[in-house]
Amino acid sequence: MLNYVWMSLIVIGLLVGAGKDISDEVKNTYRNGFPIEATVHVEKTPTALRQTWEGELVIPAESFNRFYGITSAASEIRLPVEMTTLSSGKTTITILINDSSPDFWREMARNSSGSNKLLGTVNSIKFSDDKSVAEVSVVLEKVNYVKLRAITKAALDYADTAVTISLGLIGVMALWLGIVKIAEEAGLLKLLTNLLTPLTSRLFPDIPADHPAVAAMVMNIAANMLGLNNAATPLGLKAMEELNKLNPKLGTATNAMCTFLVINTAGLTLIPATAIAIRAAQGSAEPGIIIGTSIFGAGCATVAGLVSVKILEKLPRYKKELLVDDHSSESSRG
Amino acid sequence: MVELFRNIINIISVAAVPLMFLVFVGWGIVRKVKVYEVFVEGAKDGFHVAIKIIPFLVAMLVAIGIFRASGAMDVVIAVLSPVSSLIGMPPETVPLAILRPLSGSGSMGLMTELMKVHGPDSFIGVLASTMYGSSETTFYVLAVYFGSVGIKNTRHALPAGIIADIFGMLGALFICRIFFGV
Repeated sequence: MLNYVWMSLIVIGLLVGAGKDISDEVKNTYRNGFPIEATVHVEKTPTALRQTWEGELVIPAESFNRFYGITSAASEIRLPVEMTTLSSGKTTITILINDSSPDFWREMARNSSGSNKLLGTVNSIKFSDDKSVAEVSVVLEKVNYVKLRAITKAALDYADTAVTISLGLIGVMALWLGIVKIAEEAGLLKLLTNLLTPLTSRLFPDIPADHPAVAAMVMNIAANMLGLNNAATPLGLKAMEELNKLNPKLGTATNAMCTFLVINTAGLTLIPATAIAIRAAQGSAEPGIIIGTSIFGAGCATVAGLVSVKILEKLPRYKKELLVDDHSSESSRG
Repeated sequence: MVELFRNIINIISVAAVPLMFLVFVGWGIVRKVKVYEVFVEGAKDGFHVAIKIIPFLVAMLVAIGIFRASGAMDVVIAVLSPVSSLIGMPPETVPLAILRPLSGSGSMGLMTELMKVHGPDSFIGVLASTMYGSSETTFYVLAVYFGSVGIKNTRHALPAGIIADIFGMLGALFICRIFFGV
């Protein structure tokens, strides 16, 4: 199933992205080649040293929306601009894009040559008598293939993120694996395992009750409950390593592994720390109000996950994959 | 009541790690384990495990990145919106429900944005934070946990994980409608 989901994410992404770009091109969503009318309030006129006009570009929201055929711009657009007249007589304009810029222009700027500015050429410019206000007609630089560019960028960025995340795990992994190793040598894990046998033997019938995997899984689940994410992942990976020692067919997940994974993905925690912290940061009167509801939600997820994992593992198509035959085990070791 | 519970949990969370260090190392010393040597021996594996995860995580995150960047989410939301309105789920929270199992940082950003727009104590704000707290980033956990031991055939783990996610989101919606419903 993972193969299909993975493929679908990529294929659907590429098709939707390409489709959006083609429709943008046909509809000319970014009005490439069309002049937009604006007013510039001049703040600095050119001097001998500086060849540029500087000022503030003003476009009423209504005409901005009408020009692009959108409705998202709510207030009048005011942005700093610079205009330079080249020796050829052509005047170029640079619009500096900031956080208060309309989303539409921010998206265009992200996909143009300068990430925080829009470049364009001035078709016509008409100054008022005292040279303090100018009516300009501007053609912005061409913007196209926005989604395909975004897809390329995302693919490269996320590959980078994956490595950053993995490398970031090295330290905590080493710390917890070291600590757990001490507990193992001291016989502490065995003690913990024996204590919880009634529960774990039911959840993981394939795992011998006194196997070290059980203790690692119990510690992982406990760390998750307490919201100790830094500890939970290394302990979970330790549990996986132990579970894999009992795996007759390397490269294929056992029933116990799937059950353990589902417990983890359901994410049952007694205190959803991240959500509470963000609620507090957003000025909530009662940030902790979601503790009960989150436990209920994650409880639903855990129960549903455990029930479905136990039902699914009995289906012939998943049972079949556990069988060890020489050919398939060789290829999966590959 | 909620406040007391929260305080207790808070104290346990803060004390858990130091306590674990103390108990584990202390127990080791009592049982005459060469704690330093054994620690180093165990810690050695940390590097290998982290490195082993990389290809799995790259594969997973790149696919999710492409899907998100393409705007395909809008298509999925359009398909799901009749269903969500049928069960009384505010349309604003549908993207969060879909993104939650795919991307931890992405869904955190969406939740923050929903609270910023609608207020953290509004129905949508409470529902969004409950939904965030009701599940884990399934695809990430799958890639990391199975990746660390080189599992390529994940069998029924993904379908079961997705069923769990769906029920987590429905559970969040159900309980929020009961307690904070409009």
